[in-house]
Amino acid sequence: MAERISHTRLGDGQTLPPPRQQSGFLLALRQSFFNGWVSSIITLALLTMLAMTLPGLWSWAISDAIWSTQDSSVCRAASGACWAVIGEKHRVILFGTYPYDEHWRGALVVALVTGLAVLSAIPRFWSSALFVFWGLTTVLVTILMFGGVFGLPYVGTNKWGGLPLTMIVFMTSVVLGLPLAVVLALGRRSHMPVIRAVCVGIIEVVRGLPLISVLFMMIIILPLFLPTDLTIDKLLRALIGMVIFFAAYAAEVVRGGLQAIPTGQYDAAKALGLSYWPAMIKIILPQALRIVIPALMNDIIRAFKNTTFVSIIGIFDVLGATKASMRDVDWVRYSTEAYIFVALLFFVYCFAMSRYSQFIEKRLDSERER
Amino acid sequence: MTQALVQIDNLQKWYGDFHALRDVTLHVGAGEKVVICGPSGSGKSSLVRCINHLEPFQGGSINVAGVALKPTGTAIRDIRTLSSMVFQQFNLFPHLSVLDNLTLGPIYAMRKTADEAKAHAMQLLDRVRVADQADKYPGQLSGGQQQRVAIARALITDPQLLLFDEPTSSLDPEMVHEVLDVMIDLAQEGVTMVVVTHEMGFARAVGDLVVFMDAGEIVESAPPEQFFSAPASDRTQQFLAKLDLSV
Repeated sequence: MAERISHTRLGDGQTLPPPRQQSGFLLALRQSFFNGWVSSIITLALLTMLAMTLPGLWSWAISDAIWSTQDSSVCRAASGACWAVIGEKHRVILFGTYPYDEHWRGALVVALVTGLAVLSAIPRFWSSALFVFWGLTTVLVTILMFGGVFGLPYVGTNKWGGLPLTMIVFMTSVVLGLPLAVVLALGRRSHMPVIRAVCVGIIEVVRGLPLISVLFMMIIILPLFLPTDLTIDKLLRALIGMVIFFAAYAAEVVRGGLQAIPTGQYDAAKALGLSYWPAMIKIILPQALRIVIPALMNDIIRAFKNTTFVSIIGIFDVLGATKASMRDVDWVRYSTEAYIFVALLFFVYCFAMSRYSQFIEKRLDSERER
Repeated sequence: MTQALVQIDNLQKWYGDFHALRDVTLHVGAGEKVVICGPSGSGKSSLVRCINHLEPFQGGSINVAGVALKPTGTAIRDIRTLSSMVFQQFNLFPHLSVLDNLTLGPIYAMRKTADEAKAHAMQLLDRVRVADQADKYPGQLSGGQQQRVAIARALITDPQLLLFDEPTSSLDPEMVHEVLDVMIDLAQEGVTMVVVTHEMGFARAVGDLVVFMDAGEIVESAPPEQFFSAPASDRTQQFLAKLDLSV
């Protein structure tokens, strides 16, 4: 019979340093790019592809490109990109058909909205004062865009366009769409059959339709149902469509968050004697919305890109304005460059929002640990 | 005979086809402490959750302080206002500080001012000995501390009736006593308590009546001395034999 060994450690325990880690640039390079022959072949193949494409791209975009000229024939003589088109057309791209002399108003709107959005994103500034600032900004944006007061010439919504319009469509969809989404999500879980049916109906119908058809419905079909003497502004109708479309998707996200809240939270709220709305506003929604912030950010980024759909119903957002500006026969050959510019513009906004959503996710995770 | 504070008569409850409470009758006088015990699935939690209508019931009647519990009207609201509940899983609100957990009810259900609610809350937190944790979040507290906060939250509405649903069952053993001590203190102050628990030491110390439930029925109810020394039914004897009564 084997003798039983002692499991008790003999002598004193020692604190040992951790084993030395191997590191270094060459090692990292090898592990990342040449880790086995499959990896090496893929690396080499990709290097070859880069070697074949990069020089051409470089000479087109950089070395042979024309950076500024007012004469499109200069571009035609060159073999590279004609970035000059942006300098020539940027006013139309950024502000569409808005009167040329009033473009500063649009620029101010973009600066105001972007600036306040950036401020609102910083946790240090989170307070109820932000709501006041957003309220003020809304008033200011309305005054700037419409004019007609303080000596500003009146500009109708049919002349609005470009980046300010994109901003307005985006902000309206999100700022009005989110509360509507919460209401729809709560309604879908309501015990009252009529309310539930209406909310399920709205969510499912809108989610079952492409955004384009929602917009066409707002523009073409809605007036058929309204009295003939009642005309609603085209932009307003498009905005209603955008808000409902965003809300229907976001409602399902919010519903997911509501379902993630343990029933014990509802029990505790009820046992305290809280009625429905205080229980929702103070207890359930703050927790549910916190859970779904990353998913909502995804919807919000999509809402920014969805603003481009309004151009098909004749509202000139920044992409629509770009397309319109390229009707100029002198510059039409260089629409690629113009579209690249707009793509970069969208990328900057969307990438910023995407990074921000990652930041906020990390921050919420660390809060959850407390 | 004076009317009992809680009067449950011929209560019937089903979960789908499952008959969870079978003709349960239980009267609790004002100031009485009733301890309900029984094996899991016996219906004891369902019974206390019916009293403040966290669970609906399908037959019989419940009266609390003269208010007949009906699914419509203000009865539910009234009963929830005059009663409070402590849960097995504490059910504190994780996104609010300890202090805000307490003041939420007074501010939004009772229309008290924030200052009033805060002063009362600090007093109660002191009483359950967690006043130093007022600004922390529930997740930063131990289980025992959380349950004491939950008890303070239950007390802040000045309830006539306190309902406990297995308040110590999800606590680590070394924390059970700090919670029981608070509950024993409370019991000595005259508030009516209905407590679902297996802590027989608590039943002995403060119970006026011990109720044993099995399979949705009240099998036996007796004052603690009698219940523990001379249980009448076989099922009660078997149940008690399995419990550790050394506590």
